[in-house]
Amino acid sequence: MQNNLPIDRIAEETADRTSIVAVSLSFLVAMLPHFFNLPFWITGFTLFALMWRGAQSRGWLWAIPRWILVPLVLAGGISVFAEYWTIVGREPGLALLTVMTSFKFLESKTHRDILILVFLCYFLLATHFLFGQTLYIAAYMFGALIFITTTLITINQREENIALSERLKIASRLIGLSVPIMLILFLLVPRIPGPIWGITQEQRGGVTGLSETMSPGEISNLITSNEVAFRVTFDGTVPRQDQLYWRGPVMANFTGRTWLQHKHTELKNLNVGQTGQLVQYTITLEPNGKNWLFGLDIPTGIIEDSYMNNEYQLTSDKAVNDLKRYTLSSTLTYQLELEESLDYLLLTSEYPENSNPETLALGQRWAREYNSDTEIVNAALSMFRNQEYIYTLQPPVLGRHSSDEFLFSTRRGFCEHYASSFTLLMRAAGIPARIVTGYQGGEYNQVGNYLIVRQSDAHAWSEVWLEDQGWVRIDPTAAVSPDRIEIGLDQALNEGLSSFKIANRNPLIGKILYSWDNLQHSWNRWVLNYDQQKQMRFLSNLGLGIRTWGDMVIALVIGLVLITGSYWLISWYRDLPERPADYEIIINRLLKKLERSGYQRKPSEYLHEFLVRIEKEQGYQDEDLEKIFTVYNKIKYARGYQRENVIKRFRQLSQEWRLKQTT
Amino acid sequence: MALLASLMPAAVRKRMDHWIALRNPPSEGAIHLYNRRLYILPTRFGYLYAMMLIVLLLAAINYQNSMAYALTFLLTALGIISLWQTHRNLLGLDVDLKTPAPVYQGEHLELCFTLNNPQQNHRYAVGIQYLNQVPAYTRVEAESEASLCLALPAIQRGLYQPAGFILYTRYPTGLFHAWSWLKFNVPILIYPQPLFDHQLEHSLMQDDNGKTRVDTADGDDFAGLREHRSGESLRHISWKAYAQGRGMLTKTFEGHATPSLWINWEDMSATSIEGKLSQMTALVIQAQLDGRKFGLRLPGIIIDQDTGSAHQAKCLDHLATYQQKNKNAELAVDAE
Repeated sequence: MQNNLPIDRIAEETADRTSIVAVSLSFLVAMLPHFFNLPFWITGFTLFALMWRGAQSRGWLWAIPRWILVPLVLAGGISVFAEYWTIVGREPGLALLTVMTSFKFLESKTHRDILILVFLCYFLLATHFLFGQTLYIAAYMFGALIFITTTLITINQREENIALSERLKIASRLIGLSVPIMLILFLLVPRIPGPIWGITQEQRGGVTGLSETMSPGEISNLITSNEVAFRVTFDGTVPRQDQLYWRGPVMANFTGRTWLQHKHTELKNLNVGQTGQLVQYTITLEPNGKNWLFGLDIPTGIIEDSYMNNEYQLTSDKAVNDLKRYTLSSTLTYQLELEESLDYLLLTSEYPENSNPETLALGQRWAREYNSDTEIVNAALSMFRNQEYIYTLQPPVLGRHSSDEFLFSTRRGFCEHYASSFTLLMRAAGIPARIVTGYQGGEYNQVGNYLIVRQSDAHAWSEVWLEDQGWVRIDPTAAVSPDRIEIGLDQALNEGLSSFKIANRNPLIGKILYSWDNLQHSWNRWVLNYDQQKQMRFLSNLGLGIRTWGDMVIALVIGLVLITGSYWLISWYRDLPERPADYEIIINRLLKKLERSGYQRKPSEYLHEFLVRIEKEQGYQDEDLEKIFTVYNKIKYARGYQRENVIKRFRQLSQEWRLKQTT
Repeated sequence: MALLASLMPAAVRKRMDHWIALRNPPSEGAIHLYNRRLYILPTRFGYLYAMMLIVLLLAAINYQNSMAYALTFLLTALGIISLWQTHRNLLGLDVDLKTPAPVYQGEHLELCFTLNNPQQNHRYAVGIQYLNQVPAYTRVEAESEASLCLALPAIQRGLYQPAGFILYTRYPTGLFHAWSWLKFNVPILIYPQPLFDHQLEHSLMQDDNGKTRVDTADGDDFAGLREHRSGESLRHISWKAYAQGRGMLTKTFEGHATPSLWINWEDMSATSIEGKLSQMTALVIQAQLDGRKFGLRLPGIIIDQDTGSAHQAKCLDHLATYQQKNKNAELAVDAE
């Protein structure tokens, strides 16, 4: 460290190479997961800036002068704007921060610049949590935090060269000591409900999940993802596997190939016609970047900041960009919208005349042949059941008249093929019908007693409107492959698809995986969802009488004082000059014991003189005590006796020793 | 801190200095750094860090992001721990200042401190600073001692007391600045800058005529200079000549009784007081080197003729403090 300035001007010192290398590495560590979130050119520019600065610190390259740098900074800002057409929001904001930090590297000269860069690294860590808050990310950030703190120590070590391992140890200790304080702050700092300023409503890219449209092949892509869609805890018994239809986006518009969502409205009052018992459950929904909240079959109510649309899809006011947890009740037996509006019934009976002529002809023929709608539905299902239809994840690619090709020539399809063709057949036969997408089934985790619903459980089915029953769910896939609904996808397909179900694994690994999933679930429930409400509930359940903000602040102060006070005490004790050797403590204890029995050693008395006096008064020869005193003298004065096992034996002897009662 | 001090009105500053002086009385021996002796404040970076924490907290609230909260709180905790660790980096040290060896004006005065750490914790990057001078840093291992030296310019002859030293640290995170004001009752003596004047020297020593010149390095009376031969004692090298760039010369002596010398204030050729003192200093040094018996006559002060290093020190002492008004003045390091 160049050290040629007085302390009040330390900030102006030229930064040394160790600091520059350390802060560059910290920046890389802090940025690494972001490189997947950012456009390629930003990653490239960041690496370029770091390498230039590294080469510059070795004297291989010159410092870029300010008159070049300033226009470049402007160009960088404009490039970010050109990339996103905005600079507010999560991704553009991150891009701008990254580009500007890279420029700061190019411009950095002094100790001050380097410290500012370290703070920027700390700040960057927080931005990761806007993109995800899983246990993995948290663990990575914890490691990164220790690394950046090591850099901070490196910069502040002045001209000392503390070894890297030592610096890492010191940083780990600092962070380790910080963790209990963090926990107190996390639990007790009163939470303020946000947001303070508006958060731009943006949809997340790169999130796997159901799509807004459905065309052949779309759901089967999802099936290969083992990502968790949501987890469900039931109050009471879990419904049967074939009852677990998790309702998602409903599609009423058909283009001839693709199903689209109809522009829906908010439902004024629910016409569920519910009979039978309600099922109560709590869903922890992973971010899906859409406004969709999933519910079991037909939910009978809504939650905060959401509404039910006219197709009974629970819809959030804001896009679900963070983990969301909500409690709902649903009914499994119902008569949905017996009085459906005529407009909507007309809409759900429409189909394009110019595509799929054979399908339309079949539907129209059924309409003539059968007397009731129920018979038509059964005719379609029995067609799927009795003819050579195959349920497969790898169906042949379909052309323009996708439904015709599927129904009459290829006959191999996945759930969306069946649902799509069935719905079109119904419409052709004059029965209002629509597509419902969502998830079906789930895997029960016995470790945590909850259901895991994965992206691979994605499904599509149909609803038809029958005059005296309202909207009725018909799952044509169940007709073809009952196993899909009753057991699950893995067994139904039998196509060597790698299994996501933990139950299919070896029991021991399965147990570990269930526990790990349970840990993630608990993390979601307790850590990520720790908001104002949860805080209040948690604190009042603690039984410490913390009920108001004031109580929290008092508890916070007490907690902080206790922790820092105990740190101070422990360090005070540990820093004390070395305490007397163990054998001294042991002999002192023994002497105390003798003192209580009435034998006090005189200050000038040798141990063996003392022994002789005791023996004389007691009237017998105490061989044990003699041995103890001999060992003590050996440990203290002879060489080679200060060994652990000797001292251990010595302790044992002196602890066991008792003054014999003279009669 | 320096920024704060510069913003303070003079009156406040004065009261502050008074308060500091009261709480940190000058010490005769080692100073033990205990709680009342130590002060701690955030550095500029500490304030910047606090600002960053506020921004992070706002972001956490705004996005209702639990992990952002956790990170904010962890960094807050790191700040709290830093406060304690920085303070602990100085707590319990014993600092002592040794009396420095006198130097001549224009040289560097070396002040060496002993930092004794009786405790089990290592101390890193402990710095010490005198006024606006460049600080020096050291580390003190557990249960050991370290020494730390400051080289200060000796600007003006005289007897001084050091002003307060600042012993400080910013280790480990640089967010806090912990310090202690140390004042030691240690005399610092700066002799006048010697001014060698050959002519003057010669005229004062002319009474040794008529003596046989013996080309030897052994003897009592100075006879002259000649080329140094290897193997001869370094004791007889004329360092004055060496300093003048004349090379290594050995002083030769004559084997007769040494004539004594009076260094008189009135005999000096310089006109200013400082000039005269400088010349007299040079003569004292030379006379001592020559092993000559010498005395000093300053206005109002007469030091009898004598030899020996104690005598030389006494003479130089008087020259250093001659007409110095305040013999307890604080050592300045800037030319006024």
